[in-house]
Amino acid sequence: MPSKTNTALPGLLLIACMLFFSPAFAQKMVSGRVLNQTDNSPIASATIQIKGTRGAAVSGADGSFTIKVPNDNSTLVISAIGFESVEYPVAGRSTLGDISLKVGNNTLNDVIVTGYTAQKKKDITGSVAIVNVDEMKQTPAGTVENMLQGQAAGVTVINSGAPGGGSNFRIRGITSLGNTDPLIIIDGIRAGINDINPDDIESIQVLKDAGAAAIYGVSGSNGVIIVTTKKGRGKAKISYDGYVGSQQPLKGYNLANPQETANAIWAQQINDGLPPSNVQYGNGATPVLPDYITPTNGHAGDSMTSPSKYVFDPGGLDDNRITKANKAGTNWWKTIFSPAIMQQHTLSASGSTEKTNYFFSINYLDQKGTLLGTYLKRYGVRANTVFNVKDHIRVGENAYVFYKQNPGFTNQNEGNTISYSYREQPIIPIYDIEGNFAGTGSKGLGNSQNPYADAVRSLNNKSNDWQMVGNVFAEVDFLKHFTARTQFGGNVDNYYYWYFTYTGYENAEGNTNSNGYTESSGYNSNWTYTNTLKYSNTFGNHSIAVLLGQEANSFYGRSLSASRGTYYTTDPNFWTLNAGAPASQTNSGGVYTNNTLSSYFGRLDYTYNDKYIIALTMRRDGSSYFGSAVQYGNFPSVTGAWRISSEDFMKDVTWINDLKIRGGWGKLGSLSNVPLYNQYTLFNQFASNSYYDITGASTSSQLGLYNSQLAGPATTWEKDVTTNLGFDATILSNKLDVSFDWYNKSINGLLFRPSVPATVGGATPPFINLGNITNKGVELSVTYHGQAGRDVKFDIGGEISAYRNKILALAGGNKYVDEFSAGSSRINAFSRAEIGHSIGEFFGYKVVGYFQDSADIAKSPTQDGAYPGLFKYADINHSGAIGDSDRTFIGNPNPKFTYGFNLHVAYKAFDVSAFFYGSYGNSVFNYIKYWIDFPQVFEGAISKDAVYNSWRPDNLNPKVPRLSTKANFSNTQQVNSWYVESGSYLRLKQLQIGYTLPKSVLQQFGIDKMRFYVQGTNLFTITKYTGLDPELQASDLGNNSNFGIDFGNYPSNQKSFYVGAQLTF
Amino acid sequence: MKRKYIYISAPLALAAVVILFACNKKFLNRQPIGLLSPTTLSNAHGVQSMLIGAYSLLDGEGGNNSGWGSAASNWTYGDVAADNAYKGSTPSDQGDVQNLQLWNANSANGYPPQKWDAMYDGIQRANDVLRTLKAANANDMSASDTILARAQAVFLRAFYHFELVRVFKHIPFVDESVTFAANDYNVPNVDGSGNFINPMPKIEADFQYAMQYLPATWNGDKGRANKYAAEAFLAKCYMYDQNYSGAIPLLGDLMVNGETASGDRYALQKNYFNNFNADPTAKNTSESVFAAQMSVNDGSAAATNQQGNPNGNYGDALNFPYNGGPGACCGFDNPSQDLADAYKTDPATGLPLLDGSFETGGHVIARGTWAGTLDPRIDFVMGRPGIPYLDWGPHPGDAWIRDTLNDGHFNPKKNVYALSQKTTLADNSSTYWAAVELTADNVNLIRYSDVMLWMAECQVQTSGDLGTAEALVDSVRSRAANPAYWTYINNDGTAPTFNATSYSYTQKPGTTIPADNYKIGLYPTGTFAANGAAYALKAIQFERRLEFAMEGQRFFDLQRWDFGSPGSMAAVLNNYVKVTAPLRPAFIGATFVQGKSELFPIPQNQIDIENEQGKINLKQNPGY
Repeated sequence: MPSKTNTALPGLLLIACMLFFSPAFAQKMVSGRVLNQTDNSPIASATIQIKGTRGAAVSGADGSFTIKVPNDNSTLVISAIGFESVEYPVAGRSTLGDISLKVGNNTLNDVIVTGYTAQKKKDITGSVAIVNVDEMKQTPAGTVENMLQGQAAGVTVINSGAPGGGSNFRIRGITSLGNTDPLIIIDGIRAGINDINPDDIESIQVLKDAGAAAIYGVSGSNGVIIVTTKKGRGKAKISYDGYVGSQQPLKGYNLANPQETANAIWAQQINDGLPPSNVQYGNGATPVLPDYITPTNGHAGDSMTSPSKYVFDPGGLDDNRITKANKAGTNWWKTIFSPAIMQQHTLSASGSTEKTNYFFSINYLDQKGTLLGTYLKRYGVRANTVFNVKDHIRVGENAYVFYKQNPGFTNQNEGNTISYSYREQPIIPIYDIEGNFAGTGSKGLGNSQNPYADAVRSLNNKSNDWQMVGNVFAEVDFLKHFTARTQFGGNVDNYYYWYFTYTGYENAEGNTNSNGYTESSGYNSNWTYTNTLKYSNTFGNHSIAVLLGQEANSFYGRSLSASRGTYYTTDPNFWTLNAGAPASQTNSGGVYTNNTLSSYFGRLDYTYNDKYIIALTMRRDGSSYFGSAVQYGNFPSVTGAWRISSEDFMKDVTWINDLKIRGGWGKLGSLSNVPLYNQYTLFNQFASNSYYDITGASTSSQLGLYNSQLAGPATTWEKDVTTNLGFDATILSNKLDVSFDWYNKSINGLLFRPSVPATVGGATPPFINLGNITNKGVELSVTYHGQAGRDVKFDIGGEISAYRNKILALAGGNKYVDEFSAGSSRINAFSRAEIGHSIGEFFGYKVVGYFQDSADIAKSPTQDGAYPGLFKYADINHSGAIGDSDRTFIGNPNPKFTYGFNLHVAYKAFDVSAFFYGSYGNSVFNYIKYWIDFPQVFEGAISKDAVYNSWRPDNLNPKVPRLSTKANFSNTQQVNSWYVESGSYLRLKQLQIGYTLPKSVLQQFGIDKMRFYVQGTNLFTITKYTGLDPELQASDLGNNSNFGIDFGNYPSNQKSFYVGAQLTF
Repeated sequence: MKRKYIYISAPLALAAVVILFACNKKFLNRQPIGLLSPTTLSNAHGVQSMLIGAYSLLDGEGGNNSGWGSAASNWTYGDVAADNAYKGSTPSDQGDVQNLQLWNANSANGYPPQKWDAMYDGIQRANDVLRTLKAANANDMSASDTILARAQAVFLRAFYHFELVRVFKHIPFVDESVTFAANDYNVPNVDGSGNFINPMPKIEADFQYAMQYLPATWNGDKGRANKYAAEAFLAKCYMYDQNYSGAIPLLGDLMVNGETASGDRYALQKNYFNNFNADPTAKNTSESVFAAQMSVNDGSAAATNQQGNPNGNYGDALNFPYNGGPGACCGFDNPSQDLADAYKTDPATGLPLLDGSFETGGHVIARGTWAGTLDPRIDFVMGRPGIPYLDWGPHPGDAWIRDTLNDGHFNPKKNVYALSQKTTLADNSSTYWAAVELTADNVNLIRYSDVMLWMAECQVQTSGDLGTAEALVDSVRSRAANPAYWTYINNDGTAPTFNATSYSYTQKPGTTIPADNYKIGLYPTGTFAANGAAYALKAIQFERRLEFAMEGQRFFDLQRWDFGSPGSMAAVLNNYVKVTAPLRPAFIGATFVQGKSELFPIPQNQIDIENEQGKINLKQNPGY
């Protein structure tokens, strides 16, 4: 079926080329100079374009230019960033003299890269957010992803404090239960945004609706972020941009000291009517802190506390690792968190001549995390060049190579060092008396691990990553109105990491496991080959642009990993695979990416008299993920705009400078999280799943196979239909820019793995097209450019985004799916995806209060474990008994809206900027309370609330239920609304004060610009959330079905202070 | 002219490229790498490998949703939910098991779904074999091999179904016609009138087929099901059906002709304890009618960061002493005080205290705390303070208990390993969280003493020969009565040498003494006849508890006895609550509900999925 169209297309192309074939005109050279009207200073890098053609030149440092025009009647369009563009007829002259441009706040003529092509901002009909790169860069962060928070309406970014850690990245709500990361296009190549050097970025555009993104077809449904890196422009210059600063850790959790902890353990037992006792704290009316925790409940002078009795034999019966009790309490948080330095430096050289332009930069980033052992180090080099080989031919390349070291950190997990810092009891010291680590191996102190030991043991683990991202391209202008472009590019990523697993001898669990060493490597590669043909022309009031293109993408990745155990020594110099015990060796490897995408696309832009604009796009995508019968999908869009301000009847409305109403409809596709080979029935072999020791040998097993995947041959594209309405306005003498969008994005045929009954067997069912989700939302951004007096200029900008997400249907006809979290599942699923509700909503019992006494229990619905002081749940179904069906929705982690707010004030040589970011109306599930408010949960550290504000007959409105040794339905076992808190917050993300040295001073040193600044970030956060930071990522960034849950998040609201400098000469 | 070439060549080049890709259909055809398609497997080799895959779920692990709730030993259902063991650890750790222990689990409890899902995974793996046989036979598989493969597949399918029957009773029978592609997977457990369908006839038919076509022995493959394994399971099914007269000929044949897959005639091992030894020479002995084979250091543990559970005895990985000894985690499945007390014997006769008096008059705890006599099997079943714990030295007492208030004073012993077996018969992977708790200990699914005691039971139930019944019980007891294999301790309280190959303690006259005051006697000839059938049945039932304690059998024994005598299970377990609550406060208020608690709840999510279209396919068990 597809072949018919495919073979027809090139034929059509050729015919189209022939039709427009016409002889070339005689040509002539024209020269001139571009000046700033305000002070007659030359304008470098102004674009001089011949109207209606592709021909263009750029002015030099002195503002002068020469350009070859086709004939004497040509008109030049002269534009420069920050100025209003003018049209200038050649009128037979060869010297045009000085052309003055008026300073303009109006950015409507800025040329915006919008995917395979560039448009003037004023001609854009889709919903495109233009990120102010300078503002974005003011937030110091290791990754561009982090910086984008609050910078574009409709873009939600949730960060953590982990250096190099990913973010939850969403454009226009949650469009999938799986990954919602947008497509990132860097200089036309699919690449990751995380490791690009922010100082290399020229512009970032976010294509939000189908009208804008449909040209990316199947890849565009989560939105598209177009990043363009810098080109050389004007005279040669060298720039330096850098900062250095320090991040300050938070204070940590509010935990009880050892005596308070012991008191709470006593209260637990007394409340249960038991005679209180504890192996460490003795027995009797009050608990007594021991002098030693090994020997258990040891006291000074006991014979076994004599250092001569020290025996190191973990797990053995004679073991006596003498450990002093830390009666003052160990602050585990402080053992692993400390202030951390962050610095970034970029040195770049750039320039352009008539024949070439070049941009070259080197970059160094060193971001230490406040958490011991976390860091991101990156060294990057970029070289972008373009050569104008002939008047009509340009060739060029963009290349970025970097090396980074970024040991991973599993954020939001009950088993990481942050979680251990609130789980390890404070009476445990860091070390025993011999300097070996101390821990829960001392009896009766729970099962946490020594977080400091864990962190220290990770310090020699290494993670290396080399990547090369880039492309080569050639462009040919021909037949006056045509440009053909061919581009080949891609991304090669090699990674290599190793880690050592120590025997955590000091812990209660796993203290006799053998040590081990694992070494892993792999590579990803992808390439994109793109060919486009553009035609643009103007006939009178009609302006038309056509783009036709073809693209092929290929992705491939494989990895291998090997390990051995039982190392003779833990000395890092000994860490090679050969050094371990051969009997313990394992190895594994496989292909984890292997797919292709073949695409054809076209675009038509038509403008009548600058008033009516219409754009049509069409993309046809074929993917190897789907069976051949359903491989291809067509993704059209139509958008239009009406510039009302150009109508005659608006002439008198002088306060409106520009007003454009936009609207559009489009269909996008998505592969969502479809697994590789979804179309096939597959069998796999996996030692732990299907091998069996059929001979009874005890130490070997035979190969067995199992059905691993069921086929979904009919599964095809997810279809996302977006309707968008909006307007862009520039009013009040170009002082106020307003942009507004309303959208309705519905995902139909959601790609979804259906829940099938167990009777199907263990094979994974295929993704099928079932389930619908809608996201409706509004976005508003407003910018005001103001001036107060002669010297004070200011800009105030804000954006606000709101979406409402609703599940309309689920796969397999299911009404709901319980969504488990990767972080922990000790009290079952935190959230439920149910028809009529938003993705991510928390689901559990609604706590209406605490049972006050037995009379209260008697008159309340029957509830398992009911006891005075424990949770009383709402009887949602009025059955008189609390059961499964009384669970209900108890909170929504989706914000009602998020907002960002930028402020810039310039006064003479000083400038001040500030950026606020906030989220309103989202709930947070404070799961940390499970660990620290219930002393019976793994006998770990506990909160001051549990000690001082738990339910007692004299404290009927406490924060924590009655302390008990029991774990049951009415206290620890269920997800309930007691954990849910408001997650609204407002944060001053950054405040910066800069000073630019006067030009007069600098000129004598040959320096063009020099600016210094001081900056503070996260100076305050206003929130009612009682945990550390209400900004909470999902525990698995690739899974958006549950989020807003606090498992001990690496906080992203740590204060930091920086000094920086920018220098150009 | 030159320029014109450029004008023409550019679009031509573009067109050429477009054609290139348009014609290259292969570009969108990416074949799976490292995975196999059904066509590749439609041959003898494929079928045999799929069959191994179907066997591999006998250990309960590595399948869909498998975990501790699908353990081959059934420790959560068989012992914790009965009167043999406490959940262990701290109350909130694996809280779902706490609810099983106290019989207040609801249909959302996370453990029963593990069993449900993993067993149906095994069933469909067996069905995959059956579905592939025809094509394989058409290719290169001989007719005789086809029948052997079919017989093994139906045996496994029947086994997995039977496991489900024991836990849930009312379960859908899934044969090879049920597939995702056929969209017939909402298999009901009720008929058109809403009455439960009894799956047992189909299960028994499968076992019968297997019994008919399986060979008596397998060349070297000790883990394969043979004719007698199928016969034993068929007999076991009949025991659950109270079809005692049907069981007798099968059991009789097994006792006369039965042999293991490696050709050993069924017999009791001399050393009871050796049935729980991970050593390859001690596994698959004459007593092992059928067992789930376990293996360690075979690469399965290191790979678990990707999927599945390792091939060692993962199901019992939690059931180790806490913070010391083998494993060092996690302190679950602690033998109950009631079980320890059940090993008291009459000081004069050495017989068990069938009258229930073992629950009064003081407790058996540490070595020597009970002044009276004990059945020596107690110290193979549980680690007790002061008693040698294999070669780990004398059990240190509460130092190995996580929470003495809830967990009591004992640790499990049958599933652990000896110190000298560490790193060879326990896993030595480092990338796995609790490698040292993966052992090569087989889980015995049917031991020969089971066959003998069933026969004894059948004799009583069919008003048969009480003398035969008594002789069978006595032969089980006399094996335990052999002092050569008791637990010994040195005079000074230290542990004597333990031989991990023979699983026995070295005795040195004058230095070693029995570790506690053991006395076990046989029922004097004629005791059963003299005291009547009710007495005989009680003696057999009591013997089963002592013989199979901590092997996941107790709950299901009580359950099948209850089917024949409704209310008996509730009586036993509510009495257990009565004696346990004063010691273990968690039991205060716990109630075993007659007519409900005999079965576990069918997983709610399965009911939701199967009934989603409006028709009731899956009906919940009564009371849930």
